[in-house]
Amino acid sequence: MKLEVEGLTVYFPYESIYPEQVEYMRELKRALDAGGHALLEMPTGTGKTAALLSLIVSYSIHKSFKFKLLYCTRTVHEMEKTLAELRLLASHLPTPTSLLALGLSSRKNLCVNPHVLSAQSRDSVDAACRRLTASWVRSLAHDNPQVPTCPFFESYDRAASAGPDTLLLPPGVYTLGDLRSFGRSKGWCPYFLARQMIRYANVVVYSYQYLLDPKVATIISKEMQKECVVVFDEAHNIDNVCIEALSVSIRKQTLEGATRNLTQMSQEIERLKATDAGRLRAEYNRLVDGLAQRGNLAITDAWLGNPALPDDILKEAVPGNIRRAEHFLSVLRRLVQYLKSRLLTEKVETENPVNFCAAINSQAGIDQKMLKFCYDRLHSLMLTLEITNTDEFMHIQTVCDFATLVSTYARGFSIIIEPYDERMPTIPDPVLQLSCHDASLAIKPVFDRFQSVIITSGTLSPIDLYPRLLNFSPVISRSFTMSLTRDCICPMVLTRGSDQLPVSTKFDMRSDPGVVRNYGRLLLEMVAAVPDGIVCFFVSYSYMDGIVNSWNEMGILQDVMQHKLVFIETQDVVETTLALDNYRKACDCGRGAVFFSVARGKVAEGIDFDRHYGRLVIMFGVPFQYTLSRILLARLEYLRETFQIKEGDFLTFDALRQAAQCVGRVIRSKADYGMMIFADKRYSRHDKRSKLPGWILSHLHDAHLNLSTDMALHIAREFLRRMAQPYDKTGCGSKKTLLSEEDVMKMSEGAMDTY
Amino acid sequence: MYGAGVAFQPTSSAGGSSKEKKRRDEDDEEEEDDNEGKGTDAWERAYADERSWEDLQEDESGLLRPIDTKTLVHAQYRKRLLLRSSTGGSVASRIQKGLIRYFYIVIDLSRAASETDYRPSRMAVVAKQAEAFIREFFDQNPLSHVGLVTMKDGLAHRLTEIGGSPEAQIKALMGKLECCGEASLQNALELVHGYLSQIPSYGHREVLILSSALTTCDPGDVMETVQRCKRAKIRCSVIGLSAEVFICKHLCEETGGTYTVALNESHFKELLLEHAPPPPAIAEYAAANLIKMGFPQRGAEGVVSICSCHKEAKVGGGYTCPRCKVRVCELPTECRTCGLTLVSSPHLARSYHHLFPVAPFDEVSPHGRPGQRLPTTCFGCQQSFVGQGGAQPSLRTSCPKCNQFFCIDCDIYIHESLHNCPGCESQHNSSV
Repeated sequence: MKLEVEGLTVYFPYESIYPEQVEYMRELKRALDAGGHALLEMPTGTGKTAALLSLIVSYSIHKSFKFKLLYCTRTVHEMEKTLAELRLLASHLPTPTSLLALGLSSRKNLCVNPHVLSAQSRDSVDAACRRLTASWVRSLAHDNPQVPTCPFFESYDRAASAGPDTLLLPPGVYTLGDLRSFGRSKGWCPYFLARQMIRYANVVVYSYQYLLDPKVATIISKEMQKECVVVFDEAHNIDNVCIEALSVSIRKQTLEGATRNLTQMSQEIERLKATDAGRLRAEYNRLVDGLAQRGNLAITDAWLGNPALPDDILKEAVPGNIRRAEHFLSVLRRLVQYLKSRLLTEKVETENPVNFCAAINSQAGIDQKMLKFCYDRLHSLMLTLEITNTDEFMHIQTVCDFATLVSTYARGFSIIIEPYDERMPTIPDPVLQLSCHDASLAIKPVFDRFQSVIITSGTLSPIDLYPRLLNFSPVISRSFTMSLTRDCICPMVLTRGSDQLPVSTKFDMRSDPGVVRNYGRLLLEMVAAVPDGIVCFFVSYSYMDGIVNSWNEMGILQDVMQHKLVFIETQDVVETTLALDNYRKACDCGRGAVFFSVARGKVAEGIDFDRHYGRLVIMFGVPFQYTLSRILLARLEYLRETFQIKEGDFLTFDALRQAAQCVGRVIRSKADYGMMIFADKRYSRHDKRSKLPGWILSHLHDAHLNLSTDMALHIAREFLRRMAQPYDKTGCGSKKTLLSEEDVMKMSEGAMDTY
Repeated sequence: MYGAGVAFQPTSSAGGSSKEKKRRDEDDEEEEDDNEGKGTDAWERAYADERSWEDLQEDESGLLRPIDTKTLVHAQYRKRLLLRSSTGGSVASRIQKGLIRYFYIVIDLSRAASETDYRPSRMAVVAKQAEAFIREFFDQNPLSHVGLVTMKDGLAHRLTEIGGSPEAQIKALMGKLECCGEASLQNALELVHGYLSQIPSYGHREVLILSSALTTCDPGDVMETVQRCKRAKIRCSVIGLSAEVFICKHLCEETGGTYTVALNESHFKELLLEHAPPPPAIAEYAAANLIKMGFPQRGAEGVVSICSCHKEAKVGGGYTCPRCKVRVCELPTECRTCGLTLVSSPHLARSYHHLFPVAPFDEVSPHGRPGQRLPTTCFGCQQSFVGQGGAQPSLRTSCPKCNQFFCIDCDIYIHESLHNCPGCESQHNSSV
């Protein structure tokens, strides 16, 4: 259908539209018109992606493709879903438009060369690719046909060299799978084809890292022009992604690996000195001239960029004392030695970067400037040495990463050395962490460079906190609610067990057998009354282990198993995937199942429990972060000092967004229904509750705020019966939730009249 | 105890707001949990069983008054009638219906059936309504056969063989009411599938599962069984008592049945009775084919003969198969010896009306259109529409064909029992 949003013709791929989607488009259009950033919260299942894509693509058609849409997703799965949506939209666009949209991912997801793909991890695929496509390998192969190269890359290169602007990809929407099959049929390398084509594409869908992590962003997203519209979807954790992009942690294994790398490199240098000393000399001369890189690198040689943000990188020549390869290696050796000595500490140490650099200077004799250039110098050296198996050199890269970051930033970072894990003090596991506290650092270049950045998710409440955390000022920030024909979500706050005693996971209460039993009784009552799947979220792995053990001893678990099978999330990905598979099977065949999972875990973030896979989700406790963690404490302090955000506020905000994320797993569309139980007395307090997203709060009746187990059971039974009745999907009269083209016309006319 | 103390209160403070009523309702739930196991006092039980507060409703001014059940029933009836005529096709489009049904009722007697959210228990309610349903079923489908299967302890058990007599089925059902263990959907379906695959091809195979349980413990892959039922053209329907279960929904969607969940006892009854009228015929059977049937004579009084169904000597009564002269006790049935379908002509006649239903009557506003004079009495019963003492005139309807007016009671009688419109019939006579 076509609709008008404030004078703009929007092409929408479905026959009818939800009213909140129209609202959403209107706000989005205003943000684009104003050329500013926007923060939009809309519940999942309301077609956020479809609304976003339709409006922005229509807008760019209107502006005759002057700008690109950069759409960032968290996972490959979401990327595919977005591209599928886009393809549907493309088929509804007016015929002469030639839209080119494609997804970009790592080599692991795009490569079609069977030899390369046989590698296991992402890094080893990258390295295997480099082994076949690095410029020196190819020039070697030119003289000696025995040297293996990648046939896909070679034929791609031949096609691409026909001219820089040859459009290799006909217009259309390409998912990763399409790119692979296109590459296979043409015999071209899909990865480099995609890298090349994002320059010409109208829509690029890729991962957050390609914009936020400076190491990747400088390589991939450098050429994007200012007029681009950037969308971060499912962005409720965007501050954590930003922080991770600038944080480094070094363990004992890293340092040992780094030492090995150094030995290997020095052997390589010795060999090179004997055979081809000219190459080393050439590098030296280049560095004297102040060029860290040798001119324009071939696309295949481009490696991860500098970890610091582009504005902060020094545009100077590499300092004299590390220009020579042997000298640089000895500097690195001293650095690794120093870090090793720091790891030997017996107690936890926290330091700021300035003191740390001063300490390195006095103890190891490496000044700040040398540290700053570590990363670029290493990069240059590895190119000179023509090292292709980059995956084995990850360790020394991490150390250089660390050195560059620690010397570049004085504020917003701290160095924390922990000799053992707080929770397992008996096992020595020293770790040195450079942790970034300021999420605004990594995202600042994105806000500065691009005209419009749209941050959107199902849970962004409280919506005023994000601008403060990320330090930007949105022109539009709004939270939308869901229009429903029936009350298909039923949130409840359970504060008491059936014996009227309060339940909570507060530290002093969580091990109380009464609380454990009450939680167990709650689960037991619910498994008997709720069909198919139930998902339970606990606050942490250790708490889950503890309580499941106690339930087992009390015999509660056995009673639960009479009604439903029990599956547990573990830290092992393979095991969890298997458990999830079997959980789904048990839900399908009517046996029913319970899934025990952990807030902040993999399952809570990425797995949907829609329809019968999750009729009820129970959130046991408030998922606060581990408050004694040094990193968290340091970050809280920084937030208080810099952004005036109170510790309590931030902790509650973070806990509640996790809780909302967990319970939001059960409802993925309007036809779906599900119950959510917040089982902790603290949820009934206003300061906690008010931080839940609006679409949950609007369904949280006052009568459901202070329930005991038996009252909750009664409500659950009534709710399930009500939801099982047939209903009219479109709604009627004023509660219309599915609008046709005429309805939208009428609505906009009505709006005109009121103005 | 907490529960007992609260339970006593409401008798003294009857007129509360709806919120209070709701709370009381919840309190009652608690009380009932407490009461399980320790036995209740007589006064308490009376209170808990009758649930007298449910018969009250609040009017606009906040006063409590008994629910006007009559208008409610009428409204429900109209709704059902319209729904049936819209889904079953209008009179004009004459949908073929499967009149000869082989119908298995699967009753869930698993642990979940002992729950007391229906009064006195789910099991008792199911049994009571199943009894009413079986009678109604035979009334509407005299040519059909019913059998009973129970699910308990993870097994399915055939309670009665498929047969044409309501009394035998009901007797067997009432004797077997106790519940324990798990329900197994797969076992029940396999059992029914085994029996239904033997019946003649013209018969419509149907299963109705009255399910209390929310889980099913199956020995194998239930999905395969669902597919087998689909291939065997068994129409499976489920009525749930507590919540929607995915596998049941899947089963019904695959096999073309209906899946409904009951809100309360009266709703359950309503849902159950929806299965009494015959469903539209499955396309494969729609091709008309002739069925050989026998119309047996009633045996003379005082003649002693050995009946073929019970294998024992009986005096008088019974029917004799016209082909092989064997004696059977009841109709309709299939002859044990020659396999001939035995019916009586009234059975056929009674099934006939499903094919030509009376069109639903239009509702007429009590005051009519301006300029139109409405008759003051019902064409059927000659009762005055205007109630005594100037009361609100009752709902009236008119037949779209003969434009005669009927009161709602006659409307129900015409559609549910008579299956002929008196207005149209008398018109027909006068024109001839």
